[in-house]
Amino acid sequence: MSLSQRNLALLLIAPGLALVAALFLYPLCFSLISAFTGPEGGFSLQAFGKAWELYSGDVVFTVVIVLASCFFTGLAAIIIAGTLTLGENRYIVGTLKALYRWPLFIPFIVAAQCMRTFLAKNGLMNNIFVSMGLMEPLQAVSFLDWRGIIATFVWKQTPFVALLLAGALAALDRATLEAGRNLGASRMRVLVELALPQVMPQLLVALVLSFVTMLSVLSVPMMVAGSQPTMLTVDMAFRINAYGDYATANALGVITYLISAGAAIIYLKRGMAKEGTP
Amino acid sequence: MIRAVSGLRMVLAAFALAAFAFFLIGPLVNLALWSVAERWYTPYKLPVVYGTRYWEQVFRPTGDAMASLATSVWIAVLTVLVALALSIPAGYALARLKLPARASFMVLFLLPQAFPSVAIYINVARVFYSLGINGTVFAVVLVHAAHGLVYSVWIAAAAFAAVDKDLELAARNIGASPLKAFFSVTLPLAAPGIIASGIFVFLESLDEFTGTFFVGVPQVTTLPLLLYNAAMGGNYQVASITALILLVPSVLFMLFIERFLRADVLAKVGA
Amino acid sequence: MRILTLACSLAALIVASPLSAQTLNVASAGDQNMVDYVKDYLGPMFEKANPGVKVVSVGTGPGDSGSQKIYEKLDAQKGAATTDFDVVVIHQKAAGQMVKEGLLNKYTANVETAKLATGDNAKNSLGTDVSGFVIPMFQSQTALAYNADMVKTPPATFAELADWARKNPKQFGYNGIKGGMSGVSFVAGWVYAFGGDADKLMKGPYDAATKTSWDKAFADLKEFNKNAVITPGNAGTLDMLNRGEIAIGPVWVDMFYSWQADGKLPPNMKLKLVSPGMPGQPMYYAVPEKSAQKKLAEAFIALATSPQVQADGIVKKFNWYPGIDAKNLEGKLDKAAWDKLFTDVTPAELAANGKPFPIAPYFNDILEGYEKKVAN
Repeated sequence: MSLSQRNLALLLIAPGLALVAALFLYPLCFSLISAFTGPEGGFSLQAFGKAWELYSGDVVFTVVIVLASCFFTGLAAIIIAGTLTLGENRYIVGTLKALYRWPLFIPFIVAAQCMRTFLAKNGLMNNIFVSMGLMEPLQAVSFLDWRGIIATFVWKQTPFVALLLAGALAALDRATLEAGRNLGASRMRVLVELALPQVMPQLLVALVLSFVTMLSVLSVPMMVAGSQPTMLTVDMAFRINAYGDYATANALGVITYLISAGAAIIYLKRGMAKEGTP
Repeated sequence: MIRAVSGLRMVLAAFALAAFAFFLIGPLVNLALWSVAERWYTPYKLPVVYGTRYWEQVFRPTGDAMASLATSVWIAVLTVLVALALSIPAGYALARLKLPARASFMVLFLLPQAFPSVAIYINVARVFYSLGINGTVFAVVLVHAAHGLVYSVWIAAAAFAAVDKDLELAARNIGASPLKAFFSVTLPLAAPGIIASGIFVFLESLDEFTGTFFVGVPQVTTLPLLLYNAAMGGNYQVASITALILLVPSVLFMLFIERFLRADVLAKVGA
Repeated sequence: MRILTLACSLAALIVASPLSAQTLNVASAGDQNMVDYVKDYLGPMFEKANPGVKVVSVGTGPGDSGSQKIYEKLDAQKGAATTDFDVVVIHQKAAGQMVKEGLLNKYTANVETAKLATGDNAKNSLGTDVSGFVIPMFQSQTALAYNADMVKTPPATFAELADWARKNPKQFGYNGIKGGMSGVSFVAGWVYAFGGDADKLMKGPYDAATKTSWDKAFADLKEFNKNAVITPGNAGTLDMLNRGEIAIGPVWVDMFYSWQADGKLPPNMKLKLVSPGMPGQPMYYAVPEKSAQKKLAEAFIALATSPQVQADGIVKKFNWYPGIDAKNLEGKLDKAAWDKLFTDVTPAELAANGKPFPIAPYFNDILEGYEKKVAN
């Protein structure tokens, strides 16, 4: 071969990278420059100071919301995927299979729209509970705050994570799982102790993708919850719309980026570990 | 006794499933109800007056819902083609060839998903204006492709990784050139996963708002542009109907995705 | 595969190449009903009067963020020969900024109807002199919407409202300052009421030291917020009023009427403009400096601001307050339509309690003060 494998690989990946570089990395540079430029020009961390002074609470809020959403998404996805793989009742597995993917392709803005009227104090959900006699009207509470944001994210992202996880579980060696069952282990134990450790990488990948997506969504926090506290995307939009202050908005963008970098590093570490082993 | 226990478990499982279905389907039912609600206010728990007034409004002759839908689908199809043209070689390289710093390349494709997009698209628009391609379908397609590339590259890499190497070797052994082996063995075997990746790209493109606004408007208008105004302004009826229209291609694909997303491919996504 | 892609893209490029020269692109920052107003009402009317012309209407989202998108788009096109938009419908804040940065064309001398709009807001936009660059499309006003079944005697002043909210915890809701302008307007009204010299905030001159005098008002507002519900957005406030979750909330009058027409508010909802007053603002028609269709754009705006269109389209169809002076609408409108506009808020109340927003630097100080002292 005239071309080394390594060069061939770089050649093949180059067009995709070029697109990302031209339409993402290059424009990103402007954002970075603006974030690090002071009002009189020159290098400055002033925008970051302002971002921190005004929005430190929202940074924490955002991280907590996204982590909690990832946690519940992961949990729900494990239950769904576990039932799909290890469930013994044909009807339950069949129904679940037919149902769980519905929200997969619903845009975030539509999900937010649905949830805003569904989770409200006198929204459809509470009204149904009241009508069914499960709840007194006075007990109704509104979920249109951090709980609403988490619920919407989990609702929207679970199918995606469950889909990838169910695929990974289905590809496992059935014999080991059967052996576990034959030795008297409950399905729960087989799932937690035998199956899950083997599919952790896939779960991690799906959650990293979800994490990053949730961080950059504007419509859900904007439409589902009141603005105090709120997520960083809302603050960014507000900074631009109310003050035309791109520097602070971009500084917030950089902070968001650092948070997603945290997720990416987890992913990278796993990748390195794998490359290290022959 | 054992029977009673398993019966109880059945009931519990059925109950859990019902609760799950409620939380899953409830918001969607809510959406459907709003699309036909002409009057709905407190203290009524369900719409007071039902009707198709808003459906007629969305599909009125001067409204451009259908034209926007057609543009949306056309852009999405082109986006898939561009993304696949880029991600098939990239995916193959990531899956099969020795690539230095492979994981960092994977992360690089993840980046456009991660950064809140408004700031980026303003600058992209500047570049596109200077090139004179703003307001063209081509420009919108490029922006959508960059955004959706993470799905297509990650899933295509998984699809190639799932193809049995021995089959490729066998083809080479009977004298096929590397290129021929790729096109006659590897690509067909990886095709289901690649199609699946295309579906994700398709749907990402179908939902995209911000990029389309900055590089497409006013010459190119897509359905999410209509949806965005209605939803942000709280016009629930119109937003619900637009969302339902947008759901049609999504649901169609969801029904087909099963055929393409095989377990062994899914198992390798992002790996 | 790649050749196919390239071919497709090229085909797309050709298909989507610039439309015919006689296209008038109108961009509206605002709700769907404003976009539809151009698309269904003004557009066809203009096309009929000018055969061969096609009006394209796009919306950029409600509130200041919609105007900001128009600004960003025009700004990104600074280097281009012509802009994408020929007529823009924008808020006050963006109008001031665009005039300052030279993005707008001074066109009103060419439009006869400009003389019909003599109000202060046709010349002054949050402290920026915009005379010659804009004609108001309509006036809007914020007011408190309340459910007359739940609130028998609505509060008439901000002080009474604060009192009412203390006695009825979680029955008043507004959307903070990040979720849209109705909440911003409430906060501005609060500062007008409790922050000292309101006139100075509306007229200037700007004095950076003034903001320190609002500390007490902000501290009280923080206290007030404990009994208030923070709603998700302008629409969120109306939404909660719809479901009876709150009894009073600040809303835009035009949104209020369109929600009522859409059956999304109980029939017994009413409006109250509390004293000393809440802000309102016009939407402006403006023409970008580099529009390729300046003549057409001017003709379009002349039509849109003509007394008949203002009467039929703005007042009768949407219950918006007209953009041109009200006296010009006399005889164009039946009394019932005119009276409907003032069912809850009388012209006298509107004159006394309808305020402009503070001038831009004070406006920013109020928002940032709120972020620092109330929300944080």
